[in-house]
Formats: sequence, structure tokens, C-alpha cells
Amino acid sequence: MILPIILLITASLLSLVFVYMAVTERDLLKAVVFSAGQSISYAILLQSMSTPDIVMTYVTVSVGLYSALILFVISKTERFEGGGREH
Amino acid sequence: MNTRILVLILLVVSALSVSIAASLLLDIPVPRGLKELAVYYVSNTIRDTGSPEAVAAIVWDYRGLDTIYETLVLYLAIVGGLAIFRVTLKTITKTPIGLTLFSKTSTKIISLLIATISAAITFHGHLTPGGGFPGGSALAVAAMLIIPVFSMYALLEKGVTSTKLVALRGFALTAIGLVALLPVVRGLEIVTNQKFYPTQILGIPVGGSISLYNIFESIAVASGFIAIALYLSIPEEAYKTGESSA
Amino acid sequence: MLEELSYILIVVVLALNSLIAIYGIVYRRSLVKKLISLTILSDTVFIAVILAGFYFTHPLIPPVYEDLGGGNIDYMVKHASDPLPQALVLTGIVIGLATNALIAFGIIQSYRLTGTTDAKKIIEILSRSGVEE
Repeated sequence: MILPIILLITASLLSLVFVYMAVTERDLLKAVVFSAGQSISYAILLQSMSTPDIVMTYVTVSVGLYSALILFVISKTERFEGGGREH
Repeated sequence: MNTRILVLILLVVSALSVSIAASLLLDIPVPRGLKELAVYYVSNTIRDTGSPEAVAAIVWDYRGLDTIYETLVLYLAIVGGLAIFRVTLKTITKTPIGLTLFSKTSTKIISLLIATISAAITFHGHLTPGGGFPGGSALAVAAMLIIPVFSMYALLEKGVTSTKLVALRGFALTAIGLVALLPVVRGLEIVTNQKFYPTQILGIPVGGSISLYNIFESIAVASGFIAIALYLSIPEEAYKTGESSA
Repeated sequence: MLEELSYILIVVVLALNSLIAIYGIVYRRSLVKKLISLTILSDTVFIAVILAGFYFTHPLIPPVYEDLGGGNIDYMVKHASDPLPQALVLTGIVIGLATNALIAFGIIQSYRLTGTTDAKKIIEILSRSGVEE
């Protein structure tokens, strides 16, 4: 009874931390990693709401495909916000 | 840097304290029961659609027409992206290099496992959680794993070109449209499930048209995303030389 | 008591997350950072839609029967999670990925044409070449 509620509280606080870190980070590669962390904490939130369909889709799309997509975009453009590119 | 951490701590503490204060002081009611519409869906899913999974029943039967139109949106978005990125891939001939033998072998095993799991998710989509959308995106994850390790040219040599993938996508979308349109022949409504398609074939529960939709949708989603990954993994130099020669 | 706390906390955190994401979309200058913020905003909206069908019970189970025989409908109605928001979000996640891929292609193309992903610099380059004003 109490375990799902503790999971809900922990995962929502964790998602707040990751969202803030992802949006304020200047290095875009680190921002992608924080964004993946935000997706994982949302997946925990969804699992404790007992929605396995969404968890399966959300984990593959948001952790796997979004991260790969944005990594491809960064490798083709610039790595740091406000210019600059590091090889 | 320090102010960033301070603002973060302030955010977390204020969120916690506001919610603790609200739960102590205000008498806010929390939901404790299923909504009436959901009660209907949960109690009638097997009788109406032949699928014990209520989510798949809503996606492909109760609101099937919505999902078909959303598949059309998916098709148009991917076609728009590929139209921006068009390049003739036949002119690019390079020997595939890829990573070391160890990573290639382990990637082969892992991507085979992911493909098996995605097939299981797709084919059992009308009985257990899963279906066409998660199955197709899991297959696309396997392709995303293969492309950096084996390099894109290995896939091109094997004959996996984006033209073929777009053609496969068109085939899957045509099949979805045919499955939706076929009941019209016998005078039924479009996207009819139980009155036209059988619930069981040789004792195996297939959930009417739901399993057909799941299979074709997973093909459509997977081929679309693999085509996007192929186009994204073309190096920028290929575009510059391609533009100068064209 | 703990149930009220968790429900209110999730609502507060979702509101804060969407505010932070909107800040990222509006005030951050890098187009890639805008794209990351947009994915975070859409994910937050999906969680909010799922939360609209969420309720407290024990145990909370997925809306899936064990076999075609029907099973215990009364038990399912008391303990299953709401299937309608799940069906809406399931398609929304995949469609969102496709439209965001279209935006990503647009960002790469604009980088090829202007040589930068900074929104203000792009506007300067466009106004210098006479496209805008």
C-alpha cells in the first residue's frame, strides 16, 4: 500500500531535478543525458500508475530513439549552446 | 554554477513544502474510483472486441478510425523529413569499416534478441500489454544499435536502402487501409471488427482485426524510423559533394 | 494523508516542470535546446493526461483480463487502471516522435544554410540578407 506512494513521491521529485538540470545545462550532450534521466523518472511514475502499455512505448521512444535523434542532430551541428564545436 | 544548484534546491524544497502544507491545511479530495466511461470499456471489452486487453481494444476498435488518421499523420511527418533530406545514395560507395569484431558480434546477438522481443510484443498485442506501436519502436531501437556499430554502408551493401524502406511503409499503410475498408464490401461500417473478422482461428484467439492492425502498424512504425535513422547517419560531406555534382 | 500528499505533489511538480520547459522553449537561444525542452513539455503533458485517469486503490492492476473467459468483472472495475487516457497517449508518443524528427531535420537544414543554431544569430543573418524587413 505504502510502497507505490513512496515511489510516486520519489520519482516526481527526481523528475523535477532532471528537468531543471536539462534545461539550464549549456553543454548539449550533458543536456541529452539529463533528458534521458527525466524520461526514466517519468517511466517509474507511469509504472507506479500501473500503465504497462505506455511504459513499453515510452521507454523505447523517449530513452532510446529521442536520445539517438538529438545526438545525431548535435553531431551534425554544434555541441555548446551559443556556438563552439569540439571534436 | 552555484546559483544554479541553489535555485534547484529552492525549487525542490518549495514543491515539497507547498504540497505538505496543502495536504495538511486544505481538504482536497483525491480520486478513489474508476470513471463511468472507463467502467464501460473495462467491463465490455471481451464481449465487444474479442480482446482481453482494454487498451488495444480502444486503440484499434472503439477509436480505430482516430488511430488510422494518426498513422496518416505519422506518414506525412516522416515523408516531410525525408523530403528535406533527399540525396541520391547510389553515388556514395565506400567500404564499410565499423567497430571491432567483439562489438560487432555482441551487437549481432543483442539486436537479434531485441528483434525477437519486438516480434513477441507485436504478435501478443491483443492479449497482453504491447501492440504495434511499442513493437515497431523496439525494432527501430535494434536498427539504431546496428547503424553506429556496423556503419551505414554495411546496411546499404546488404540492400537495406531508404527507398525500399519507404516502399515497405507504403505497403504497410495500404494493408491497414485495406483491413479497415474490407468490411464495406459486405455492407458493414468502416473499421468493423467483430461482425466481419473471426475472433479465433484454429482455437488461437486473434482478437478479430486487432492483431492484423498491430502487425502492419509495427511494420509501418519500424520502417519509418529506420529510414529516418539511415538519412540522419549520412555524413555531411556526402551532401556537399552530392550538391556540387548535381 | 500520504495519498493526498503524493497526489498534490505530482500536480505541483508537473506544473513546475511545464513552466521550466516553457522557459527553455522561449528564452534559451539554441534551437537544439528548444527541441529538448519541447520533448520535456510533451512528456509532461502525457503524464498529466495519464494522471487524469489515475485513482487510489490497492492493488492497482493493468486493464488486462487473464483469458478470454471473462474473469471477475467486479474485481477488474474496482482495481483496473483507466484504459482511455492510455490509448490516447500510446499513439501520441509515437506521433510526437515523428513530428519532432521533422523539426530535427529542419534544424539541421537551417544549420547548413546559416552555419549556426543560435536563434538570434539566424534572425540577424536573415535580416542582413533582406529576407526579413
